[in-house]
Parts: sequence; structure tokens; C-alpha cells
Amino acid sequence: MKHFVTVFRKELIDTIRDRRTLFFMVIFPLVLVPLILTIVTKIQTSSMRKAEEKIIRVGLVTNGNAVDFANDLMRSHGLRIVDGIVPDSAESFINRDSLDAVIVVGRDFDSEVAQLRSGTIRLYYKSSDDYDMVKRRLTAEIDQFEKSLRANRFKKLNLDEAIVKVVQREDHDVASAKERFGKAVGGMIPYFFVIFCFMGAMYPAIDLAAGEKERGTMETLLTAPVSRFQILLGKFAVVVLAGILSAVVSLLGMYLAVRQVQEIPRELIQLIMSMLDFQTVVMVLSLLLPVTVFFAAVLLSLSVFAKSYKEAQSMISPLSIVVILPAMIAVMPGFALDPITAMIPILNVALATKEIIAGTIKGLLLLEVYGTMFVLASVSMWGCAKWFEREGTIFRGT
Amino acid sequence: MIAIEHLTKTFKISRQQRRDMGPGFTSTTVDAVHDVSFTCNPGRVFTLLGPNGAGKTTALRLIATMLQPTTGSITVMGVNVVKEPVEARKRMGFLTGNTGLYDRLTPDEMVKYYADLHDMDATTYKRRRDEIFTLLGIHEFAKQRIAKLSSGMKQKVSIARTIIHDPDVVVFDEPTAALDVITSRSIIQLIKNCRAQNKTVIFSTHRMGEVSLLSDDLAIIHHGSLIFNGTFKVFQNQMQTDSIEDEFVRLVEAA
Repeated sequence: MKHFVTVFRKELIDTIRDRRTLFFMVIFPLVLVPLILTIVTKIQTSSMRKAEEKIIRVGLVTNGNAVDFANDLMRSHGLRIVDGIVPDSAESFINRDSLDAVIVVGRDFDSEVAQLRSGTIRLYYKSSDDYDMVKRRLTAEIDQFEKSLRANRFKKLNLDEAIVKVVQREDHDVASAKERFGKAVGGMIPYFFVIFCFMGAMYPAIDLAAGEKERGTMETLLTAPVSRFQILLGKFAVVVLAGILSAVVSLLGMYLAVRQVQEIPRELIQLIMSMLDFQTVVMVLSLLLPVTVFFAAVLLSLSVFAKSYKEAQSMISPLSIVVILPAMIAVMPGFALDPITAMIPILNVALATKEIIAGTIKGLLLLEVYGTMFVLASVSMWGCAKWFEREGTIFRGT
Repeated sequence: MIAIEHLTKTFKISRQQRRDMGPGFTSTTVDAVHDVSFTCNPGRVFTLLGPNGAGKTTALRLIATMLQPTTGSITVMGVNVVKEPVEARKRMGFLTGNTGLYDRLTPDEMVKYYADLHDMDATTYKRRRDEIFTLLGIHEFAKQRIAKLSSGMKQKVSIARTIIHDPDVVVFDEPTAALDVITSRSIIQLIKNCRAQNKTVIFSTHRMGEVSLLSDDLAIIHHGSLIFNGTFKVFQNQMQTDSIEDEFVRLVEAA
């Protein structure tokens, strides 16, 4: 045990002094993630606002109908109405970017409406990546016009508008706000921490095994009167610590980002804060431990097998996709924690975290997740220890 | 003292390695060390001489317990290295040409790390550290990061790490292979000091100058087997050529 502490202490100092590891473990999740999140949110909000405030150039062809509608459009803030468009050229005007949209009122619109039938209003627009704001804003104008026509029609017929409303649907969502938010956004939290946990553990694992082999320090370390298991355990503990620290720092980074972005409603922030109570945080972190042990075992096994730092990097980097995939699946709708998904590593942790945050976790399923991860962590750790004992692994290529 | 009897180390080889060895090589294994026996005595320097790939490093790694013998036995100061590897390591220091230091530690931290791994008590450590640091002139850069040190300084730290626990046996695996002449001298001096302190010293080399300068006993290894084992004096007396180098080449070619 004493030697384990000695190795652990030395590896920790060595790791903390490695700028690359420190960057991926602390700086990246703590500074860059909030920064990226803040910038992306601000750009998104600003582009949304711009799209809402943009002056839309609308070609209007009324064919002498819908005078009130035309007047409403003329008065509407943010629209520039262009007359004298030939309906057949509507598409080419939009494609040439001379106009954003064209509204064509049917030739017999007024007479159709007067005869209590439906009049046609054709809206030409181009789907775009600016939140389809042209369509949304002009649809709102047309809906408003239809509403006033409908009201006039019912008034003329001396009828109450309510007679066409045969069913009054009343929705009662029994899910609490915490549950709704937890299920919708809760999946993002494990997505982040699983990735950062892996990334945070990756560089120490490479440095403490492949790096040590490459520098020639492994050979001399193995001549010290310490069992290989204790050496591995010391390294292992540092890799696990780095992974956990990185994941925790990434959550802290996300928390800071949420606090920093003013565009997020205050009520939503309060909801997020109320969700992250002590018990939830402890449960989430307790799930993180076996995941990190599993990651550390896999990463160290590969790293110790590699002949050099570079080879370890090329062996380990593709693994990040394998790790991201189950975490991504957990974010998708339709995937829930059940007796089968509870046995799929990483996916089970991501889904369980989602349920914990939403406050809907079932005790038996959580136990199954813990059990699965505990077995996996133990087996991978045992495998890593056996792997470390092999001469062919340690002295591969020498 | 190191006693080696009928030591063999067999490695499995991959298909690629087999292909590299040529079409005539069909075996799935290779003996890196084959039926080797010798004894290294205290107060004497035992030189293991051989061309590249002869099995020198494998033999030294077996002594240092990094590898396990396939057959045969090794005892270090009476301790069987297979049965009690940790006990054997307590009595050994190991130094290679590659300094084997951690760039992000300081010399102080580096040497303390190995002292802790050897369970040295604080008083003994302090005394040994002061003695060695003074002897090698490490004090002035003891607090600097190793990455910033010159190769000569690094080698001094490496020496300090090797002997901090005052081992009875010191194993040197081509200790001067990657060093310049001036830095090599500190290693040669260390080997001489170890001999003077009645330690058992085994070192591998392919530098003939070092052989004549240091050897009390000599073994020449080729393709994993010993082709000469005796005192350096006997070797000199049996020489059929004018120089050690020529004699070495003659023996290797005749084997």
C-alpha cells in the first residue's frame, strides 16, 4: 500500500506538470466549453433577432381582391411590399434573391369568400436556415387576415364562432417541470461528462504508460522493489482521478456557462439549479466512478501495449467515437432505461443519469446499472493488471 | 554476487518477425539467451560483450527481474530472482545508456522517488543523498526540472538514482552507448568506485576501450550463447590477434 501511494504521488505530480494533460483535464472543460457555449448561444440569439427584425421584401399580387389584407401588409412593420409582380415570375424573383416572398391572392378571392367558400392565397417562399422566418412571419399575417374574415362571416350569419369548435381538448401533462426538462435536456449532461471523462483520462493514460516506455523510464521503474500491480495501481488511480476531475470540471464549466448566458430565462436557471440537488449530484458522481475505472483500464491497457506515445495516440483516438456513440444514443428520443439498456455500458450510465436528473430513476434499474458497471470495471481492471504483467506487452518492440 | 546457471530465455515470435528473419526460418520461437552460465563476484567488474542483438540486454533484464527465465536459475546475493524478485531488486541498482529520468521532476524528487520505492528511512536517505549529490556535484541543480538539464547533468542524476539505496549489485546495460566522451567518463568512474566498494558489477558493452579499461572478468555472447567466459587476463593470454577488437571479431566469426 505504501508503494502504491509513492507511485500515485509521483504520477500525480508528473501529470499535473504536463501542460497538455492539464489543458485537456482542466482548461478545456472549464474555460473553452463555457466560452464556446456562450459564444454559440449569443450568436444564435443574435441571428434569431436579426431574422425577426429583417425587412422582408414581399411581392404582392392581389388581382383587385383582399384590399384590407393588402392594406394590413402595407402597414405591417418589417415588410416592404412590391407591386406589379407577374405571378409566373414569382419563383424566379425569389431564386434571384430580388424578393424574399411573393403572395398571390386568387382572382376570384373576394367572390369566393362572399359566397361563403374558401378563397386562395398562394405564398411563395424559399426554405432557409434562418429559422424559416419569412414563412413564419407571412403565415402569421395570413392567419390574422383569415381570422378577421372568419369573424366577419360568423357575424354576418349571426352565428357564434364556438359552434364550429366541436371538441374542446384540454391537455394535462402530469410530468413535472423537472421531469420534462430532465428527460429533454438531462441527456446532454451525461453526453458531456462521459466525453470529458474519457478525454481527461486519455492523455495521462498515454503519458504514464506509452510515454514512460518511450522515455525509457519504465525499464528502470520495473527494477524497483515494488510489485507490478502496485505500480499499475498507482498509475491507474491517477488516470481515474484525471477522468473524474475532468468530468466534474466540465459540469462546472457548463454550470458557469448557464449562469453567464443572459438569454436563458431566470426561471429555467432556477429549475436547473433545483434539479442539481446534493442527492442527484452524489448519485451522478457515483455512476461516474465505475465508468472512469472502465475507461482507465481500457486506456492503460492500450497505452501499455503501444511502443510509443504516437502509436498509443493513434490506437486510442478512434475509441472516442466508440465512447461518444452510446452517449449520443442516450440523447435521442425513444431510448429509455430498461432491463436490457441497463446492461449496455456507457449507454446505461447516460440513460440512468437522465432518469436521475428527471427524478424518475427506478431503484432496481439503478442497481442493475451499478452492478453491470461494477462487474465491467472489475473485469477490465483485472484484465489490465494481467496485461501489465505480460512481458510481451511491456517489452513489445524492444 | 550473481550466479547464473544454464539460463535460457525463449521468446515467441510473430509471423512478421519470422518473415523478417528470412525464408529459412520456420520456428515459432527464438532463444535470445541459450544455456548461459556465469558468476559475477563482489569487488570485480564482469563485462558482457557482444554484437547488437547478441542477447546482452535480455540477459541483464533477466538478472534485473524484468523478464522471467524459461529455464535455468539466477541468484543475486543468494536470493533466487524468480522466487523472490522483489527481494532481489532491493539488492540491485540498474542503469542504462538511456538516462531513464522523468523530465517534469527535479533531481531531488527523482532520487527521493526511488529512495521511497526502496523503503529508505529519512535519516539514511538524507545522508546518502548528501554524499552522492556532493560527490557528483548535483546540489547546484537539484531543484531544477530534469528537462532543462544537460545530458551530463542528467546522467549524474541517473547515477544517483541507481545507487541511492547503496545496492550490493549494480547492473549496467550499455551505460555509455548514447553518451559523449566526457559524460561516459562519469559512468566509468562510477563502475570503478563500485568495484572499490566491493560491489558486484556487471556491465554490457560493445566498446572495446571500456572492456580493457574495466574488465576483471569477461563473457562474450553471440546469438544468445557464450563463446567465451573467463577472466580478462585469460582472454588476453589466449588472444590470436593483435587487438581485443580483432580477437572479438575472430571469435564471433568462428562461432
